[in-house]
Amino acid sequence: MRVSNWMNIDRRWIFLAMGLAIVVPLLLPMRLPMGVQEPTQGLFDAVDAIDPEKQCLLISSDYTPQTEAENHPMTVALLRHAFARRIPVISVVLYIEAAGLIDAAVKQVMAEFNARATTHADSIIYGRDVAFLGWQPPPIVPILSMGESITGIYPVDFYGTPSDSLPMMARIQDYDDVGIVAALSSSSSPLWYVMFAQTKFGVPVGAGCTAVMAPDFYPYLETGQLSGMMGGMKGAAEYEVLVERNFGITDRARANEGMGSQSIAHVVIMAFVVVGNIAFFATRRKEGQA
Amino acid sequence: MSAEVVWVWVGAFLTLCILSFLYRDNPFYRFGEHLFVGVSNGYFVAFMFHRVIRPVMLEPFWGAVQTAGESGLSWELFNPIAPQNFLLIIPGLVGCLYFTRFIPGTQWMVRIPIGIFMGYYTGLSVPAYFEGTVFPQMRGTLVTQSDFSAAAGSSSIDGIWALVVLLGVLGTLSYFFFSREHKGIWKVGAKTGIVFVMVGFGASFGFTVMARVSLAIGRFLFLLRDWLGVIS
Repeated sequence: MRVSNWMNIDRRWIFLAMGLAIVVPLLLPMRLPMGVQEPTQGLFDAVDAIDPEKQCLLISSDYTPQTEAENHPMTVALLRHAFARRIPVISVVLYIEAAGLIDAAVKQVMAEFNARATTHADSIIYGRDVAFLGWQPPPIVPILSMGESITGIYPVDFYGTPSDSLPMMARIQDYDDVGIVAALSSSSSPLWYVMFAQTKFGVPVGAGCTAVMAPDFYPYLETGQLSGMMGGMKGAAEYEVLVERNFGITDRARANEGMGSQSIAHVVIMAFVVVGNIAFFATRRKEGQA
Repeated sequence: MSAEVVWVWVGAFLTLCILSFLYRDNPFYRFGEHLFVGVSNGYFVAFMFHRVIRPVMLEPFWGAVQTAGESGLSWELFNPIAPQNFLLIIPGLVGCLYFTRFIPGTQWMVRIPIGIFMGYYTGLSVPAYFEGTVFPQMRGTLVTQSDFSAAAGSSSIDGIWALVVLLGVLGTLSYFFFSREHKGIWKVGAKTGIVFVMVGFGASFGFTVMARVSLAIGRFLFLLRDWLGVIS
């Protein structure tokens, strides 16, 4: 095939190549070296600095099933980190579609820890160590209202239990009792927390976002408005590495499972970009000669 | 066969339906697409009714009606923050005005809830945007002595990056300044700005590719692990 004809290649061959680039590394796992970038380390350090006796971690999981592959491992990794340090966790969702996902994540990580627990004190108990308060619309209202009363805007948790009857909520009233808000999102919800919760109530905010959104958040990292950030599946994989390295937690790390495929797929895409450019210039040259 | 296994098969079938579009448009893809839209809307409406409309509006209002029936009317039943009160019906009725667009001759009334909604969000968002984004980002653009000062925790490379950020902001702003022709110093600024804009687009495109690949990985992990069980 002549180089100038490469421009006419059936796009389904490209899909097939991408499919193979993703599937083969999943079937034949490879362990590539994983460096932890500064934004992820910043978020880990900010969560790690929470005093479990005084403050809690508020995880706002604001994503839909479409971006589950990127955002969900972030929720799981943050829960593992918090439970390992016995930091109380309040979980909320600003998107209705996330509710089922977060319910599953909380139960999964609780089960992981409770399988290893030997005493009642070691166990992760719902209401004592974690509370899933569910969803309240519209997004800005709960963000603002939590600055005055968390149980006020979430009178019942996701399961219908009055939230002020949960033991941990007796000492967690508002943002003063929150060490950091970790907003895990497929949209701009970390910025909503910056604009409405941080400016008014001064609570630190960290982000976990899809890779598409990451460039929008870097300016907020530079100004210190975001304490840290997990960017895409790579950011989630870095956080999983940090949790494993610091606490020896070796449960399934879903983001890490995909990193081999991610690297190979990027190489394939770069190859296609190079080939496409060569074909483009060859076509233009041919047209110029005609 | 457990219920979980059945749902994994349903998920796998629908995933394959959607992925079949990569070959070409077909009835399986359209079935998956329409099912997704229908299920999403049904889920949203049911969740909204059971989690918001009923507990936040209907039950407190009905509670107020029952209390009034048993003990008679009192001012407490008109307290907007009381757990049982009649006033909740007002925002409920204003919200119902959205449906007037379906009734000929009353469509103009839909402007009332839209106006309230827009006014509320604009009033809330504009000051927050300035406080949370415009002013801090402007402060972040300023180059100060502390950017170069080791005592302030900065290194010389931080200072250079601060200058690059300043240059990028000024260049990009001059590129998007259309009130003067891009000649002389404006041309230099605009040319510099377009370089930063293109680098920004490239970074965004790279991140977008990464995101889409991640989503594909998530689906293939589901198919290979949860459905076929070929990876452990």
